[in-house]
Amino acid sequence: MSEGKSLEPGKNQSLFNERPIKILLAKPGIDGHDRGILVLAKAFRDAGMEVIYAGLLPTPEQVVDTAINEDVDVVALSLLNGAHMTVFKKVADLMKEKGVKDIAIVGGGTIPDADKPKLERMGISGNYGPGTQISVIIDHIRKRAEEVRKLKSAGQ
Amino acid sequence: MLDSLVSGIFNGNARSISRAITIVENDGDSDTVRNLIREIFPRTGNAHIVGITGPPGIGKSTMIGRICSLLSEQGKKVSVVAIDASSPFTGGSLLGNRIRMQESLTKHGVFMRSLANRGLTGGLSRSIWDTVKILDAAGSDYIIVETVGAGQADLDISNLADTVVVVLGPGLGDEIQAIKAGIMEIGNIFVINKMDRQGAYIAMKDIEETLAMMPRGEWKPPVVGLNSMNGEGYDKLLDLIDRHRTFSLNHPEVRMRKFRTELQMHIDEELRRKFRKDISGILQDDSRIRRYLEDHVDPYSAAEGIVEEIA
Ligand SMILES: Nc1nc2c(ncn2[C@@H]2O[C@H](COP(=O)(O)OP(=O)(O)OP(=O)(O)O)[C@@H](O)[C@H]2O)c(=O)[nH]1
Ligand SMILES: [Mg+2]
Repeated sequence: MSEGKSLEPGKNQSLFNERPIKILLAKPGIDGHDRGILVLAKAFRDAGMEVIYAGLLPTPEQVVDTAINEDVDVVALSLLNGAHMTVFKKVADLMKEKGVKDIAIVGGGTIPDADKPKLERMGISGNYGPGTQISVIIDHIRKRAEEVRKLKSAGQ
Repeated sequence: MLDSLVSGIFNGNARSISRAITIVENDGDSDTVRNLIREIFPRTGNAHIVGITGPPGIGKSTMIGRICSLLSEQGKKVSVVAIDASSPFTGGSLLGNRIRMQESLTKHGVFMRSLANRGLTGGLSRSIWDTVKILDAAGSDYIIVETVGAGQADLDISNLADTVVVVLGPGLGDEIQAIKAGIMEIGNIFVINKMDRQGAYIAMKDIEETLAMMPRGEWKPPVVGLNSMNGEGYDKLLDLIDRHRTFSLNHPEVRMRKFRTELQMHIDEELRRKFRKDISGILQDDSRIRRYLEDHVDPYSAAEGIVEEIA
């Protein structure tokens, strides 16, 4: 802190002046592995984000409805069962259908390299495999959140 | 922009409701928020606000899922707001209440929003008062608010909710005394959840006895046992909520007390807003601060003098 500059007593909430990134973590489809996503949820929280952890959201409709209700900045989708080309696409399509342009979609899971450009074209970025450093994922989420925040404040 | 947001809210459009909540959450006392609330206020006042409070893990979210289903099946429109604590160190938060109610939310199309308290103690989030108004104006018959679950710190809910449901249960051990110390006065209905667990009847008796020793007003807070695994007791709970609703409608002093508190909050804010510039000008004035120090003026007198000057 600079010399002579003081904090307002009792209102020492500098942390809360910046609004935290709000993110929904979802595992669409019936895919039992829940532990990995909880580890991610905690890492995002510790990075200062507000993390909606909704457990299993079986359908893409549920993912999109939840993202809208919670007005998140980013939806992080994770799938380990190889169904990403259908399930991720459905989420992206539904977002478009509902006219939602200011929520970013980030993917992760076991995704073959060949699929990544296709996902990117749908607006689903990241697409990190298991074992990716969490800091890499967090940086990417911050970047995407910043992009959609600009859209949000432009639309307000 | 505000016009389309307002009409979206009146039409019950989830995106409009949701975006409006984001605005009140992030832009606290901006003019946008003031104008928004002014616009929607005429349509508020119909929802019954039910606060659900109690220690962590007692079953609040699970209960809300069941209440949502039952009320929706009666044709009522229900909305939910659940608050979690923000970490004071990182500002981050894990908002996990949704998991326990998701099935019911999906099935009945219930709007549900998770909020982080962003450093506000008292179990609520600063923006909750305005959030509730948005949901009210959107046509909710019931708005259910789940507090942080920090027991004693949740007393604020009695300034927001029309009916406060305090949830307790077996297995709280010695902690129960500390929890009770703050929370007994604010409950309009007491729930013992997890009636399927050992010690539930003892917990129920304990609460009944504590209530019997308290000074009683016209409304005598009832105690109801719930088993949230199979739904036992819920008919009675809904009936009690309904009875308390009727009671509060017939007793305007409840709404008066709530409005008084909200007004107090806004007057504090308004006063700060009005004098903020003057005060910060004075605080930035080096020669004045130096003079206080040189003259060894005590801070009480200095502050009194300053307020006298600007008010
Ligand atoms: N046996 C039993 N378990 C219950 C009952 N109600 C809830 N639970 C379980 O209690 C745990 C906590 O339930 P929640 O609904 O998340 O409790 P909460 O009070 O919302 O918790 P926080 O929001 O974390 O404070 C879950 O594992 C529930 O399945 C009940 O009536 N009986
Ligand atoms: Mg909960």
